[in-house]
Amino acid sequence: MNVLQQVVDGITSGSIYGAVALALVLVYRSTGLINFAQGQLAAVSAYVAFSLTKFGLPVVAAIIVATVASAALGAGLERTLIRRFERADHLVTIVVTVALLICGNGLISLFWGADLKPFPAIFPSRNLSVGGLHFTASDVGTVVVLLCVIGLVDLLFQRTRFGLALRAVALNRESSAQSGLPVGRLLMAGWGIAALIGSVAGCLVAPTISLQPGMMDGVLVYALAAAILGGLDSPVGAIAAAWLIGITQNLAGAYVDFIGSDLQIVVPLLLMVLVLLVRPQGLFGRKEVQRV
Amino acid sequence: MTLQDTAMHPLQRAGATRVAGFVVAAVATAVLVLLPLWATPFMNLQISLIAAYAVAIRGLGVLTGHAGQVSLAQSAFFGVGAYSAAYAVDHGWPAAVGLLLAVVVASLAGVLIAIPAVRLRGFAFGILTLAVPVVGVPLANRLSGLTGGAQGKTAVSLPAPEWSGLADDQWHYYVVVAIAALIFLLVHNLLTGRLSRALDLLRANETVAAAMGVPVQRYKVMAFTISAACGGAAGWLYLVPVQFISPDSLQLTLSISLLVALVVGGVRSPTGAVVGAAFYVLLPNVTDKITPGRSYLFFGIVLLIVLLFFPQGVTGGLRSLAGRLSRRRSEPPRATE
Repeated sequence: MNVLQQVVDGITSGSIYGAVALALVLVYRSTGLINFAQGQLAAVSAYVAFSLTKFGLPVVAAIIVATVASAALGAGLERTLIRRFERADHLVTIVVTVALLICGNGLISLFWGADLKPFPAIFPSRNLSVGGLHFTASDVGTVVVLLCVIGLVDLLFQRTRFGLALRAVALNRESSAQSGLPVGRLLMAGWGIAALIGSVAGCLVAPTISLQPGMMDGVLVYALAAAILGGLDSPVGAIAAAWLIGITQNLAGAYVDFIGSDLQIVVPLLLMVLVLLVRPQGLFGRKEVQRV
Repeated sequence: MTLQDTAMHPLQRAGATRVAGFVVAAVATAVLVLLPLWATPFMNLQISLIAAYAVAIRGLGVLTGHAGQVSLAQSAFFGVGAYSAAYAVDHGWPAAVGLLLAVVVASLAGVLIAIPAVRLRGFAFGILTLAVPVVGVPLANRLSGLTGGAQGKTAVSLPAPEWSGLADDQWHYYVVVAIAALIFLLVHNLLTGRLSRALDLLRANETVAAAMGVPVQRYKVMAFTISAACGGAAGWLYLVPVQFISPDSLQLTLSISLLVALVVGGVRSPTGAVVGAAFYVLLPNVTDKITPGRSYLFFGIVLLIVLLFFPQGVTGGLRSLAGRLSRRRSEPPRATE
């Protein structure tokens, strides 16, 4: 067990947090609210993938189907529920997404039961050793898949007309509507993409942490910390902060006796508080200027 | 129906409302006083729990409803209060000292968290408060010397005195409900006058409040501290009838449930806090009869329904309904609204 090994392990968990944090940031940028149910949506999709494998679908195909379904679910939720609260203040929107979180948790217990369920392995159980560092195939696979997803999302946003429209809506909704963009549909798409990213993260982490109605609660807390730490409106910041959190959490757990494995979660949260006190807009966020 | 035959003079109507309010309060007090004499121990426990949670929810209402800051930290203050109370019981201190300790320790914790937290706005504030129970639960597990760790802590206190001839559950009921009522009164008095006006302005527009000379940060810290103090008191009130506390009952889900109960009842209404607490305590009894272990789902569904159709909470919804009905009876419809 050396420091580098801890760093490597930290990157794996950091990538999971990063994906969910990215989903949070995308939702925040497009609809201006924090989706506390983001993790729960991911959990639902992991359960759907689990059921599909029970019907004989290979695990990768099951995950793809569940991910697409999750995108549709995210878009549908935006259209039917979130839009009604578009102009509400943040108190109401927080409570709405908390309600979604509770419903998601309840629905999972209703359909699948509250007990722990094993999720089939996605990657072969092989270990690689490079220069004394151990990588499991699942670690490498998780990081690679998530990096691909993040890269694709970035391409979508930066290089396509659709992405340009999404960015325009995020930046200024009224101007976008006046230039003829279908704002409503673009907001739906934003939620759909966010749900898709979250879903991939949920399915990838499922074999390690097993299925459970609250399986993503811990991940959500880390992802929220990462999103806030990186600056809520910065996708790059969210991912960088997520890795930072994953790495510091692992290092602190391994080298600070008092922390051990059960208090690991304290580290990213303390980090978040400290950063926010110095830079309330987060590490990469833009400073908010308020007009009166 | 003409205007003259039913309309009351506004002063007359205000007087009538006051009399009606007084009658309702008197009847409610009488019911609350007489109820435990024939109720089962389980019912007494349930009502004591409603009183305890109502105090926690009322406190959260001061912060969320009046100051406009969403907090998910309330379960942590509830826990701090309950553990402080258990500590006092362990050391054989009188109950009043235990209550004082619970309130003081929770308030101190509240101030410590509030001072950095109030620098943040909106979501960042909400997420910082979310961190408090997330850190608090493993911490409570770890500090087993104080908290009894994951096994929890049993603290039997306040046996019914000989002279009263009451059973323990009845005595606990009276103690808890009376102190909860006292705290409601205290909060009500705190929220009249300057503090309430400052918080209203602050909630409506922080920048304007600051420009008007309201010390925004100080008032937010004050609201947070009142909220934490109520949380601590609620922890003590919880421990008296339940006599046991463990990290399991202090998970983040408790904070979420308290927030749900607050919104369901109505964020700024004292009655709403009681309604919300009753909803939180009694709902599992009802839903477990239909499908066991599904109370969380019902919780979420009720919350969504309230959010969609009664944005003012159940009490606000009833009030506006009553207002509309009485207006319809006493006033001709106005052309412009």
